[in-house]
Amino acid sequence: MVDVSQHELVPEHTVLDEDVLEEVLAEYDIDRTDLPKIKRNDSALPDEAEIGDVIKIVRDSRTTDQAVVYRLVVE
Amino acid sequence: MQHSTPKDIGSINFGLMEPEEYREMSATKIITADTYDDDGFPIDMGLMDPRLGVIDPGLECKTCGKHSGSCNGHFGHIELAAPVIHVGFTKLIRRLLRGTCRECSRLLLTEDERDEFRDDITESRKLGRDLNDVTKAAIRQARKKDRCPFCGEIQYDIDHEKPTTYYEVQQVLTSEYSQRIAAAMQGDEEEGIERTSPDELAEETEIELTRVNEILSGSFRPRESQRKAIEKALDIDLTEEDTNKLMPSDIRDWFENIPDEDIEVLGIDSDRSRPEWMILTVLPVPPVTARPSITLDNGQRSEDDLTHKLVDIIRINQRFMENREAGAPQLIIEDLWELLQYHVTTFMDNEISGTPPARHRSGRPLKTLSQRLKGKEGRFRGSLSGKRVNFSARTVISPDPTLSLNEVGVPDRVAKEMTQTMNVTERNLEDARRFVSNGPEGHPGANYVRRPDGRRLKVTEKNCEQLAEKVEAGWEVNRHLIDGDIVIFNRQPSLHRMSIMAHEVVVMPYKTFRLNTVVCPPYNADFDGDEMNMHALQNEEARAEARVLMRVQEQILSPRFGENIIGAIQDHISGTYLLTHDNPRFNETQALDLLRATRIDELPEPSGIDDEDEPFWTGHDVFSELLPDDLNLEFTGTVGDDVIIEDGQLLEGTIAEDEVGEFGGEIVDTITKVYGNTRSRIFINEVSTLAMRAIMHFGFSIGIDDETIPAEAQDRIDETITDANDRVEELIEAYENGELESLPGRTIDETLEMKIMQTLSRARDNAGTIADEHFEDDNPAVVMANSGARGSMLNLTQMAGAVGQQAVRGERINRGYEDRTLSHYEQNDLSAEAHGFVENSYTSGLTPREFFFHAMGGREGLVDTAVRTSKSGYLQRRLINALSELESQYDGTVRDTSDTIVQFEFGEDGTSPVKVSSGDDNDVDVEAIADRVLDSEFESEAEREEFFGTKREVTNLSEHADERLAEGAEVTSDD
Repeated sequence: MVDVSQHELVPEHTVLDEDVLEEVLAEYDIDRTDLPKIKRNDSALPDEAEIGDVIKIVRDSRTTDQAVVYRLVVE
Repeated sequence: MQHSTPKDIGSINFGLMEPEEYREMSATKIITADTYDDDGFPIDMGLMDPRLGVIDPGLECKTCGKHSGSCNGHFGHIELAAPVIHVGFTKLIRRLLRGTCRECSRLLLTEDERDEFRDDITESRKLGRDLNDVTKAAIRQARKKDRCPFCGEIQYDIDHEKPTTYYEVQQVLTSEYSQRIAAAMQGDEEEGIERTSPDELAEETEIELTRVNEILSGSFRPRESQRKAIEKALDIDLTEEDTNKLMPSDIRDWFENIPDEDIEVLGIDSDRSRPEWMILTVLPVPPVTARPSITLDNGQRSEDDLTHKLVDIIRINQRFMENREAGAPQLIIEDLWELLQYHVTTFMDNEISGTPPARHRSGRPLKTLSQRLKGKEGRFRGSLSGKRVNFSARTVISPDPTLSLNEVGVPDRVAKEMTQTMNVTERNLEDARRFVSNGPEGHPGANYVRRPDGRRLKVTEKNCEQLAEKVEAGWEVNRHLIDGDIVIFNRQPSLHRMSIMAHEVVVMPYKTFRLNTVVCPPYNADFDGDEMNMHALQNEEARAEARVLMRVQEQILSPRFGENIIGAIQDHISGTYLLTHDNPRFNETQALDLLRATRIDELPEPSGIDDEDEPFWTGHDVFSELLPDDLNLEFTGTVGDDVIIEDGQLLEGTIAEDEVGEFGGEIVDTITKVYGNTRSRIFINEVSTLAMRAIMHFGFSIGIDDETIPAEAQDRIDETITDANDRVEELIEAYENGELESLPGRTIDETLEMKIMQTLSRARDNAGTIADEHFEDDNPAVVMANSGARGSMLNLTQMAGAVGQQAVRGERINRGYEDRTLSHYEQNDLSAEAHGFVENSYTSGLTPREFFFHAMGGREGLVDTAVRTSKSGYLQRRLINALSELESQYDGTVRDTSDTIVQFEFGEDGTSPVKVSSGDDNDVDVEAIADRVLDSEFESEAEREEFFGTKREVTNLSEHADERLAEGAEVTSDD
């Protein structure tokens, strides 16, 4: 089977540490559930990601070089 | 006028209403179906009871004492003789019937399952998901239970017959059980099934033999366990479906017993809504203000559709009660009950599938409650989201090149109707008095005045002089629109924000709105009968906002692609092309005439002295007068030459579409971004006037002779066409002889088609090339095509060379008769002519058959556009509805109304396309910007100070304010 997460078009997905997450949530003044969602069965997710984790996605952007997006893992 | 303080809505709760609540809020019980008595007075406790509110002016409301207009009306109620189902909740009722026990009414889920679904619901609420998904799953789970986990009662299936009938489906012993058993015991020799004797059956089913015989004779009905045993032994089905209708009263009793904690598992708030309230026992009667009756010219009263429906309900309700008291048979009662249900159903929704709609005497379906809300003309889309407004005008538009692009010509009769409120102070008192004394007929006049005590007086021809003297500071005067007022101007369809822009008024005679032709592209307007709307703004805040944000000059750059959407169009581009292409010379008079409509009133140094010792000015130098003095630009232009501008002087190049045109003209774009909107507006206005002067100087026209080619050229074109026809014939011959080789991935037929298409399109191109050779560069069609003003070389080819292959669905024309396009051709004729190749040009004229093929191709284009506009319109509506609640926040994120983040940074980069100059071929040139900034900074310390301080761009409020601002700029401030 092809490992999609290694494909060049799939940006880097990493699980966010709890303390970094607190900072992010504080920065935007939001709850975890206000984040965009990502399905647990999404093949781009790292294996250790579990429901309730927050994923940091760093993707290349035509206009800003790198764009950072956070997503909450849901079932 | 009394103003009530605006209030914030804290929260809104949706739920069911309790019957008792209907009674409490009711002003009166309605018992009779009659409306008015013989004298025309409303009957007490009738449908028009005066306690339900007032509609006739002058009368007093019996409930609240207010008059018509201020009294909102009051609900009444009807006590229904028997409960009926509310159509809006049929699905939920079905769900509850299926999910709860028929005996003890408890939800058919074990404690564990309940906990699970309760958790699911709280999580769904938190994540903003659809609760329906969870409750549906809960019901599905509950339906699986055959027996109630609490009381052990067997559960039956519930059938729902739309719209409002429910059945309980039970499997019971069929009446022909004895025959079926006997038939099965007979066996079937052909199928190889053996006979069964009663002894064997008795043995196998463990039923006594005497019982078996009794069953076989039909004198004993087998019990359920016995039935199952027989079914198993003989492999037959002895049951039939028995449906048992659930009356609304049964359902109500059933629902009353559902415990509160059970419905909470299904996401229903038991504090506010009890399921039995979905079965109506009391019907609220809407106030008369919601269903006013109209008095016709002949004095007859015509009632609202809702009133008609209520009359039906009350009549049936009464008949029901009478029949029940008289002890009528059950059958009649049930019929009446069904009829009552029908009337209550159609009272709420008259477009239910499966029920005939209730009709008016004339056969028109009644417009009942749900029809009032639904659809484009319904309450939501028609009355709340969109409203009819005052202070608006609509008329035909026509062009006026003498206006600035910021302006709009407003007909005087419109200006006299639409007013602006003027708060009279000591400083404008004189003006205000002048307006009032001019009266409503004279322009600039006034239509109304309001005294400080709030009384509004109409200004008339008779009283205007007297009224003018009374006007003092503190009054309000509704004066006519005058030059310089700001108004909003709009053309439908409003597809982007440039479809609604603010313009400054110029009052003009005649009946059309006038606008500068350069604003046609953003509105997508032309003058073939287009109409546009104008809205006069009614408060200072709106006027200020319109001026600063919405004025045409603020919209020069389009947020779609970040380049200018306003610029020179059509003849302007031909004009600048003629002015700059061969860099012609002009004498002083000519040069001054070219620049007469611009700000330039003195010519620069002559470009040179000609042979007759007269000074001359070149087209480049005349054009350069319009450019900012320090503009530097270099790029490849429309015509393919390099356009070089140094220090505001056009040194080289032709000015055409890519230089000054709409949709990204380089010079306009740069001026807007570097020198600001105001400078850009001036530039576009002046380019368009200069171009008009230039095109008038040279003269520009087009006629059929301009596209006629010499006979010698025509012969050559005919030759190429004949050649192409020959080659097509060769191809067909090769195909018919089976010598044609197919291209990879194509059938032979497809290959032939492709090759023919290729040959013919080459033929047309060749014809075009030949025709082109005979057109000079000053041919008007060539000028227009080269400059990008209008038309292309293809149009020219079709006019002078050959029109070429006509296509429907991207193929040669194949449709028509059996194996041929027209009866003029033989069947299976594959030639060019028979499949829509037009070898004539538009100038030489098409043959009838060519004309027909051409019309076929043209029709497809028309149909495509029609389909595309309707499809894209609906797509846009859905997109707008999906995105309308997204908002970019001060922290740069984009969030929806529930504060969920959609983008962490607007568009990933947090920039507006209008404020940044980058595209596919030019990235943001940071170096150049930094250089430019530093260059200007290091000139003096003061300037650097200005840069690091907060020097803001001057908000240019009006074109007529330019002079004042220019003067003010030189005055240093006091502090």
